[in-house]
Amino acid sequence: MIILDCDDLFDTWRQQARWLLSHQIDPDQVSWSVKEDADLFASDDHYPPHNGPFQARVPLELLELLQNAAQYCGDQRWSLLYEVLWRVSHGDRTAMMAGDKLGSEVHRRLKQVSREAHHLHAFLRFIALPPCNVGKDLEVKAALLETQKLPEYVAWHEPAHDILHSASQHFVGRMGKHRWMIATPKDGVFYDGERLIHKRQCPAAWQSLARHADDPHGELWLTYYSHIFNPARLNPKVMQGHLPTRFWKNLPEGPLIPALISEARTGKQRDGQARQIAERRGKVIRSGH
Amino acid sequence: MQLIDKLSILADAAKYDASCASSAAPKRSSEGKSGIGSSNGMGICHSYTPDGRCVSLLKILLTNFCLYDCQYCVNRRSSDVPRARFTPEEVVTLTLDFYRRNCVSGLFLSSGIIRSADYTMEQLVRVAKLLREEHEFRGYIHLKTIPEADPALIEEAGRYADRLSVNIELPTQLGLQTLAPEKEMGSIKQAMQTIYTGQQTVLNEPKAPRFTPAGQSTQMIVGADETDDSTLLHTAESLYGDFRLKRVYYSAFSPIPNSPKSVPLAAPPLLREHRLYQADFLLRGYGYSAKELLDGPGHLALDIDPKLAWALEHRDVFPLDLNRAEPAMIARIPGIGIRTTKRLVELRRQRRIRYEDLTRLRCVLAKAKPFIITSDYHPRQADTSSFALREQLRDRPQPQQMALWA
Repeated sequence: MIILDCDDLFDTWRQQARWLLSHQIDPDQVSWSVKEDADLFASDDHYPPHNGPFQARVPLELLELLQNAAQYCGDQRWSLLYEVLWRVSHGDRTAMMAGDKLGSEVHRRLKQVSREAHHLHAFLRFIALPPCNVGKDLEVKAALLETQKLPEYVAWHEPAHDILHSASQHFVGRMGKHRWMIATPKDGVFYDGERLIHKRQCPAAWQSLARHADDPHGELWLTYYSHIFNPARLNPKVMQGHLPTRFWKNLPEGPLIPALISEARTGKQRDGQARQIAERRGKVIRSGH
Repeated sequence: MQLIDKLSILADAAKYDASCASSAAPKRSSEGKSGIGSSNGMGICHSYTPDGRCVSLLKILLTNFCLYDCQYCVNRRSSDVPRARFTPEEVVTLTLDFYRRNCVSGLFLSSGIIRSADYTMEQLVRVAKLLREEHEFRGYIHLKTIPEADPALIEEAGRYADRLSVNIELPTQLGLQTLAPEKEMGSIKQAMQTIYTGQQTVLNEPKAPRFTPAGQSTQMIVGADETDDSTLLHTAESLYGDFRLKRVYYSAFSPIPNSPKSVPLAAPPLLREHRLYQADFLLRGYGYSAKELLDGPGHLALDIDPKLAWALEHRDVFPLDLNRAEPAMIARIPGIGIRTTKRLVELRRQRRIRYEDLTRLRCVLAKAKPFIITSDYHPRQADTSSFALREQLRDRPQPQQMALWA
């Protein structure tokens, strides 16, 4: 058995896989694991460092597919990809297709990954930091950030897969020249107005800045969210299907949801108007002004 | 009045419009540019409210003061609702604030009719112009079009907005006469035609300024009058044909406070709206015609979806051999969608389709089973009558708890 560690980096895995394939090493003979685990199963087999004789030919689209599927965090993250690569390079293209047993698992992972990228684009919330010159405190923070510049907007997000680096590119187009930062429990990105900097280990200073940002003007959005909801059409199941509960805690509107649901259940079902509006004085407009 | 008070009134007044899509816009990016915003054709739902609806755009009215007296509308002039009015600048501020927070992908602005149709339309256009020109905003803009407004104003709107919509609301002239006396089918279609002409003018002219690149849409209210599903679907079909509409939205009539006697007190079943959306999707994506789905007056079945209904009516076509059938016919099998059809066709180029493959492709097998043949499967139900099949396959309503306060 060969145990490999690619440090969860696709390019490293790719080198390793290329080498394995060139030596015609069967997927059964290899597994990927993080270092500490690897020691448990360490093998004494020695393999030559140079590439073997087998020259694999695979379609370009496979590489892209593997690279995307590699962002999925879960069991057999890397060995599954090698099995696909093995089968396709030996002439069995069904391994890439959703109708195949292995292929369907790959496609499930691709779907999860793209869904998670979409979750980042949708459910991330930026908070504006006050301008840099307002206090020493922030200057100190800026120094701690390594980037020397404070971002104008910060966000805290908890993605389930390794999508941050590739998916955060979206915000470069969206935010123009503004500086922004996204911190997660794992990695982080900072856009300084020109370049996107990715840190595999999110610096603690980034995390703390993103987690403790004050949002003095958050009320407007919460008001909008409560009033665009139609209590006469209450359907929490559909909502949860689209907006999984794990995101609620980081969304400003998250804490409002349970109360909106229970208020709608107890008597607001007949019309769509929010209680706060019904309680206000109305104004009938006379015909002909 | 504080901005936050206006927002609460004018969001509450806007919630009855079903559309909130931010899709189909052209590719725009602010990378390295002043200004803000991007679009890429894919819509983003930034949140969901507990009614299961997506929040993609800041959907508000410029004002809910209105001279019209449409009976189904909470903002009709005879309605006793709190009223408010934004300035165009306030709408711009809110849009940009929510956009920077990543709460929305743009603005969907509509309005009650104040002073005149032209004046109202001018105000809507002004907001879009401020956003696009002063703030270099490249996010999504959807403007409601006032049908009676000067075509020149509608054309101007089309140059700033990604999408324009003219709501038909009720598909018959009689319905409009009864419930929306100030509206007229002729002017609604005229406005749709103005937008369509604008789109045609820039078609195949890559250098021309864009005109409503995300197309036009409309909305029909379901259950405010006696109009049946057949009329709704046939109307939708002709709108798709005549004006190349991108979408027709169906909005189940939502009872409003202090409802006038002319409209019902209760909402139609939301399932009816759902079935209409399913049927509409079959019109747009699957090549069905309205006549195939509803031949003659009446409603769509509530207990089965329209695709299954069609299949049960056309048993002579089935079962279909998945290893041979035309893709367009495979897509007509209940429980198998366009995506799965594509995957089946890809797979059968490599090898024969087996029953097990369908499980992996996540077909709704309970529905598909009676209608398919694979290399290792022939349906036992092939000879079961359509009536018996319908009994097996129909959706049974969930047991419902009686409302405590009804």
